[in-house]
Parts: sequence; structure tokens; C-alpha cells
Amino acid sequence: MGSAFPNILSWILWFPLIGIVALFFIPRKNESLIKWTALIVTLIDFILSLILLLNFNFSDPGFQFVEKKKWLNFINSYYFLGVDGISVLFVPLSTLVTLLCILISWDSIKKKVKEFYLALLFTNIAMVGVFCALDLLLFYIFWEAILIPMYLIIGIWGGPRRIYSTIKFFLYTFVGSVFMLIAIIYLYIKYGSFDYTVLVKQSIPFDVQKLLFLAFALAFAIKVPMWPVHTWLPDAHTEAPTAGSVILAGILIKMGGYGFVRYVLPLFPKATVYFAPLVLTLSVIAIIYAGLACLAQDDLKRLIAYSSVSHMGFVTLGIFSLNHIAIQGAILQMINHGVVTGALFMCVGVIYDRTHTRAISYYGGLATTMPIYAAFFMIFTLASIGLPGTNGFIGEFLILLGAFMHSKVMAVFACTGVIIGAAYMLWLYQRVFCQKVSPNVIGLQPMKVNELVAIIPMVVLVFLIGFYPNLLLDFMRSSVNVLLMNFK
Amino acid sequence: MGNQLSIANLNFSVIGIEVLLIGVATLIFLIDKFVKNKNYAFYISILVCALISVLLYYSPFGEFTRAYKTDFFTITLKEFIVFGTILILIMSYGYLQNYKNLNLGEYYALILFSIVGSFLMVSGTDLITIYLSIELMSFPVYFLIALNYAYNKPAIEGSFKYFIAGSFSSIFMLLSLGIIYYFTGSFYLKDIFIKLSQQVHQKEILLAFMLLLISFSIKLSFVPFHMWAPDAYESAPIPITSFIASLVKLAALATLIKIILLGFMPIKVEIGKLLIPIILLTILVGNIMAVKQDNFIRMLAYSSIAHAGYAGLGLISADYLGYSFALFYMLIYLIMAVGIFSVLIFFANYQKEYLYIPNLAGLSKKMPFLSFLILIFMFSLAGVPPTAGFIAKFYLFMSLVKAHYVLVAVLAIAFSVIGAYPYLRVVKFIYMDEEKLPISQYKFDWSFIIPVGIASVLIILLGIYPKILVNFVNKTLFLYLSTLYIPS
Repeated sequence: MGSAFPNILSWILWFPLIGIVALFFIPRKNESLIKWTALIVTLIDFILSLILLLNFNFSDPGFQFVEKKKWLNFINSYYFLGVDGISVLFVPLSTLVTLLCILISWDSIKKKVKEFYLALLFTNIAMVGVFCALDLLLFYIFWEAILIPMYLIIGIWGGPRRIYSTIKFFLYTFVGSVFMLIAIIYLYIKYGSFDYTVLVKQSIPFDVQKLLFLAFALAFAIKVPMWPVHTWLPDAHTEAPTAGSVILAGILIKMGGYGFVRYVLPLFPKATVYFAPLVLTLSVIAIIYAGLACLAQDDLKRLIAYSSVSHMGFVTLGIFSLNHIAIQGAILQMINHGVVTGALFMCVGVIYDRTHTRAISYYGGLATTMPIYAAFFMIFTLASIGLPGTNGFIGEFLILLGAFMHSKVMAVFACTGVIIGAAYMLWLYQRVFCQKVSPNVIGLQPMKVNELVAIIPMVVLVFLIGFYPNLLLDFMRSSVNVLLMNFK
Repeated sequence: MGNQLSIANLNFSVIGIEVLLIGVATLIFLIDKFVKNKNYAFYISILVCALISVLLYYSPFGEFTRAYKTDFFTITLKEFIVFGTILILIMSYGYLQNYKNLNLGEYYALILFSIVGSFLMVSGTDLITIYLSIELMSFPVYFLIALNYAYNKPAIEGSFKYFIAGSFSSIFMLLSLGIIYYFTGSFYLKDIFIKLSQQVHQKEILLAFMLLLISFSIKLSFVPFHMWAPDAYESAPIPITSFIASLVKLAALATLIKIILLGFMPIKVEIGKLLIPIILLTILVGNIMAVKQDNFIRMLAYSSIAHAGYAGLGLISADYLGYSFALFYMLIYLIMAVGIFSVLIFFANYQKEYLYIPNLAGLSKKMPFLSFLILIFMFSLAGVPPTAGFIAKFYLFMSLVKAHYVLVAVLAIAFSVIGAYPYLRVVKFIYMDEEKLPISQYKFDWSFIIPVGIASVLIILLGIYPKILVNFVNKTLFLYLSTLYIPS
């Protein structure tokens, strides 16, 4: 268990720091060296996280690759890392997304190049940290630290309304997380530890659980984002640069879902059961409401952003259905959504770099001028709809199956979301790629090498997970089973 | 020690440091007229401060009459104050090179006098000594603000406002001393403690303490006694602004804590409750008023009000954790203030327009390094991890939750979200807006690099690994408490 490579989690976590230090010393004029350094560092980081996956022991439900060192003795807080079946998949996803973000931004980021790659590497550290930390204080620090680079990424390299969006993003998430901080402190004061493995064993009184649940859930719900606190997401997604949108869609909003599974369910099981109907209702509202909102959008990114809200509604639906099919489906759906929506944002980035507009009505007949691109977009559209054979199908199917076992009404309503999903995605595809060829799209450059290299891994993942979901489900099975013991 | 005072009985080695400081300050006043190159005063003061920081280390513990006592707590605080003073002296040097009309020996001598006042204040053990030393600390500051008349005509107004507020502070304090004396028959904190622990006249003394609290609130610029602060800050020479904002407040807070610990221990919980509305209002008003300020110094003035409020949270929780983290917070704030005010001094030296926040637009393009430093300071002031500002706030909230003031903690933390906005706004202008002003010639000299370097390194370092300083501050107070009450 992890003996092949000692302290591998720390290596994955801190390896981008080498890149950050190196970037500080590279003169800002030398842009290609900056890009290559960032690329190589994240590539190595990604390879390290693959090594982590290969060494993972499926049958062990507990934490693996554990590292525990004293950090702040005085308050009994540790530098405590470890992954189990729930979190292990998010680590390679984070490093992969960062890697692809660097590729996709190769030519599209033209100002403050050095700062951009610094921010991306910093984001990488914080993302991996969130998924590995098992000390609540450490977790909180990574959770908050990610706001700094994201604030800059959206605010500096974003679109026209970037400043409004980035401040909205920052304040929304900040509001959510500060209450979580109080809850974490409360847990510490009551149980004398920030250690997740210790806290899980405590039986917290029901009244207290309810309050703590609300504090944690607010933070995670804003991040997910659940209806009605989702309003930051369309703005942030729309205005962020491509890489920012991909990170937001790929990892950041997953942190909310992960938080629910990792912290809320095991720590506050009674409160979870108590509040589950509420969360399920909100999830279903999110699925349908955001789906309908998608139909009204004329902005490519805004449409995909709303579709994220809808898809994340499925995730929370799965998590709070509280059975093992639905939760596995939810975790899988988080990975899938990271892949598919991340890829869709990359695709939008590709044409945005050429035309500098995101208006759907501006395009038309794009399939004739950029056929390869159209094929890719089609694959991701179908994956987003959940066509069998793509990864989207597996996730949504498992969630709906689990939800049906839990509550038939919810599942029926959620199913309408799938239909709406098909409607808006296909209509989008039709408006952009089919119809009469718009004069605006004539003579657009075909896809560049870096864009192809960034998108192809996503295509591979779509089909790989679609045809052989056990590849990922194996990782989480035993941990999810243990997680659900709390509810028996 | 007995009651008879004779020279032979007095332990002069204990107050040697204060005597030395007064001697040097007086010497500067005397010889100032005869020296042409005014920089001599800087070198003398910095030498004396360096000498004192060494001497303090070897300084004996003991009493000088009953009114003055040095112990671990006071020595530590004096070390902190000297540390801050050295940095502020260095900042002053750089500032005064460009504002030659201020470059007088008296400038440094007055700072030294003020420091003597703060030294006596933290070691005073009776209220009269403390009253007198507060005056000694404050009067030089009134002069120092008024000195700026040469460059800024409203300086007189600011100085006078501060003076009047200070007079009110004195009046309230004297009134309070009168009442306390009436009920306890003593000014000595120990006697007051003994009287209070006999459970007599607690209510009356609490009333008297309220007046004392008003007096300190004026010094600490708690709302609603904060009106003087923005004007005084804006009109003072910038190094003096940072002096009032950080060092004076640190000394005042330390003294208040000491008074409570030594004399008013039995009613400390009631004192904490009295402070709840004041502190919450301070944080709220400070943060809200900072939102719309375009003048950088004024923004920092309101932010300083809010930060004093955060430190005050430690007084609410009224246990040794709270008290020590209040001091810790002021210390961290001191470091942050030194950093950001050094940057302001840099602007004031080379391009005054930058003191107006919207003019900072696009600074990151011209001065990437400086912008990055401002970024660190701003996020630290906002309290985002992984900076020292977060750690400091975290401990305070922890002490509050521990003392069962969860609601206070929730409110304070909610207000701190408002408080994040003004700092984000600065970052927004620097990084996200297009540049407006051309930059004039500038160079980074040592008087800028030293304070900024120390501040930024400490902020990051303490943000990641605060253990040493936290343990130290804790030990200070813990030792103090344990030695105080063993005899009785």
C-alpha cells in the first residue's frame, strides 16, 4: 500500500510548487519557456497521480497513502493526508484538468502570461489539497486558498463583465465557507480534534447536528451550486477565460459534491436523513429550473453553465438518495461532468478564440467549415445528454435508479430533466453546427494541435467510462459501502 | 518591599531601559539645533532601539516601587513594540528623505518619547501610572501629526481632532479612577483585585470600568468613539499613521488586557459582555465604511478600525485564550500594517496619485513585483488563507466559540465578508483594469525593501506555520496568569 512510492500524496500535492518557484525566476519576456515549464510540471504531476491510482488497493475501504505529521501542536491540528475510494479519483482528475487547461490556453492567453501560469499551478495545489486533506483545518485552508487564484483568473483574463462576476464569485463562496469555519471550530472545541477520522467516530447530538449540517451544507451548496444559491455560477462561467471555466466546471464545483459525501454524510448522519427531503427537492428544482433556463440562453457559455447547475442537481439528488447505487452514481457523475462539461467549455473556447463572440445566433452551419471540431462537439453533446455508450449515461442512470429506489416522485421529476437536457443540447447543436452556413463562420481556421491534444483525452475518457464504468466504480465501491453503514 | 521609599531601596536596573530612552530622546532635543545633517537622529534612534531589544532580553524582572513592574509579559510586549518601532523608524527614514521639512531631530525624539510612554504603560501596575503613561504616549503623537502641516494644511485639524478625542479619553479615565478609588480606596490593581474578589461593590466598579473602557475605546478607535481616526490618519505623515494604527493600538490593547487580568479578573466576564455590542459595531462600521473609500489611506483607516474590532473579540471571550489571541491579532496586524503602509510611503515618495485607489488601475503591468506584494497584503488583511491574517482571525473565532459566544462569532465572521470587499477592490484595480497613469522614475531603496520584505515573508510564513509565534504568545500570557495568582 503506497510502499512503491513513499509520501506520494505530498509529492502530488507540492510538486507544482517546483514549477511556481521556477516561474518566479524565468524572465517574463520568455513566454514559451514559461509555458513549457508549466506544462512539464503539470504533466509530471499528472503522471504521479496515475501512479497513485495504480497503487490503490480496491478492497481496502479505509484511507490509504496516509501521511500524518504534527503541524500545529497547540491546537492539535495535523498535516494529515490520505485518500480513499471516494476521493482518490478526484486527484488525477484535478491534475488532468490543470494539464489540459495549460494546453488549451497556450495561444489564447496573451497578457500577463507568467501570472496566468502561476495562478494555474497554485490552483492545482489547492485543488489536490482539498481532496487529500483529512484534517478539517487543513481542508479549510485549501478550500479557501483556491479563491485567490480563481479570483484572479476570472478577473484578469475574463470577458467584458469579468470584474462583476469575479467579485460575485468570491463573495458568494466566501460567505458560504466562513460559516463552515465556525462549524469546524465548534467541532474542534467540542471534540478536541480537527482529525476527520476521530470526528467521524463521535456521536454528535441531533440538535447540534442540524445546525452544523446547515453550516457545512451552505458552504457546499454554494459551491455545487444548488438552487437557489447558484446565481454566481452562470456569471463566473460565462466571464471566465476558457481555462477558468474548465477548472470551475471540472473541479471547483465538484468540491461541493465531494464535501457532501466526505464530510456531511459521515459526520452528521441523523441531520442528513432529516434534511434529505429538502435537499432532494432543491436538487429536483435545480434540475428542471436550470434545464428550462438553458432553453432561453443565447450565450454558449451561459447555456453550458446552466446545464452544469442542472447536472449537479443530479449529483446532489444521488448523494441524498442515500443508497449505494445512487452515491456511486453521484461520484461517477461528478467525474463525468468534469470531463464532459470541461470538454464542452474547451470546445467553446476554441471557437471563441477565433470569433470572439459567444452568441449562438452568430453561428450557423459550422459543421461545414470545421468538420472535425463539429464531430468532437457532437460527442460531448451526446455525452452530456447521456446517450448509452457515453459516460454521461452511466452516471445519470445509476443516480436515477438509486433515486427511484429512494423516492419515486423525485425520480420521475428528475427524469423530465433528462428530456429537457436532450432538448437544449440538441437544439444548441442544431443552431450552431447545422442550419444555413452563416457568413460569419466562413474561413475559420481548423483546430490547432494544442487544442486537439487537449480535447482528445476527454474523448477517450468519455468512451472508456461509457463502455467500462467498472474501471472507476471499482475504486469507490468498498468506501461507499462503509460510508452507508452510518445509515443502517 | 515595605512602604518607606528611600533611594537605596529602589531597583533602578528595572527601569534602566526607560531612563535610557528618555535620556536619548532629550539629548536629541538638545543637540538638534547644532547639527546640520538631520539624519543623525535616525541613526541614533535606530541604534538605541537595537540596543534596547538586546537589553530587554537580559533585563531583570522586578518592581520599581509598587507602581511599576517588569515580568515576562511586559518584556515580551516591549520586544514586540521595539520590533515595530524599528520597522517604523526605517519607514520614516525613507519618507523623510523626500519630505525634507519633516526631517527634524524632533521627529525621531517624539517617537522615542511615545515609546517610553507605551513601555511604562504596559508595565504600570497602578492606574495613575497607567494614566500618566497613556498621556506620555499620546502627546508626542499629537505633535507628530501636526508636524505634517508643512505639506498638508488640514494636518492641524486632524491633530486637533485627535487631541480633543484624547482629552475626552483622559477625562473619562480620570472620572473612572475617581469612582474606583471611592469604592476600593486604592489605585493599585492588586488592591482592586482583592476588593473585587470579596464581592463588594462589584456593580459600582463595573460602572467605573465602563468609563475606563470608553477611554480605551477612544484610543483603540472602537465605534462609536472612532470619529477622530480617519481624519487623523489621513493628515498624519504616513509612517506616523502606521504608528497610530498599529503600535499605539497594540500598546493600548495590551494595557487594557493587563488591567483586566491584574485588577478586574472577577468581573472579566461582565466586561466581555459589555464589549459585545461595541466590538460588533466596530467591525461592522469599519468594514462598511471602508467599502466606498477611494483614498487609500482613508480606506486603511477604516480597515484599521475594523481590525482593532477583531482583536477586541478576544476581550469578549474573556479567557486566557481570548486575551492572548487578541494580542496575537494586533501583532499580526502590526506586521500587515507595516507592509502596506510601506507601500503607501513608496507611492507618496514617487507618485502621489497612486494614493487614490482608482488610479492604481493597471499597476500590475508596470510594477509586477510591487503589485504582487500588495496582493499578499490585501488577501492577508481580508483574512484569506494561507496568510497570517487568516490564522489570526481563526484563533480569535476559536476562542469565541470556546467561550460559547457562537452567535457573536457568526456575526463577526459575516461582517468580515463585507470587509473582504475593499481589499478585493484594490486588487481589482491593480490587476484587472487597464492602466491609466504613466509611471515616473522610481527605485526601491533599503528603507522600502526591509520593512516590506520582513512583512511579506512573515505573513506567508506565519500563515503556513504559525506554531512558534502562537505558542510564544500563549506562553506569555499563561506564565503571567500562573505567576500572578499563586500567592493569593
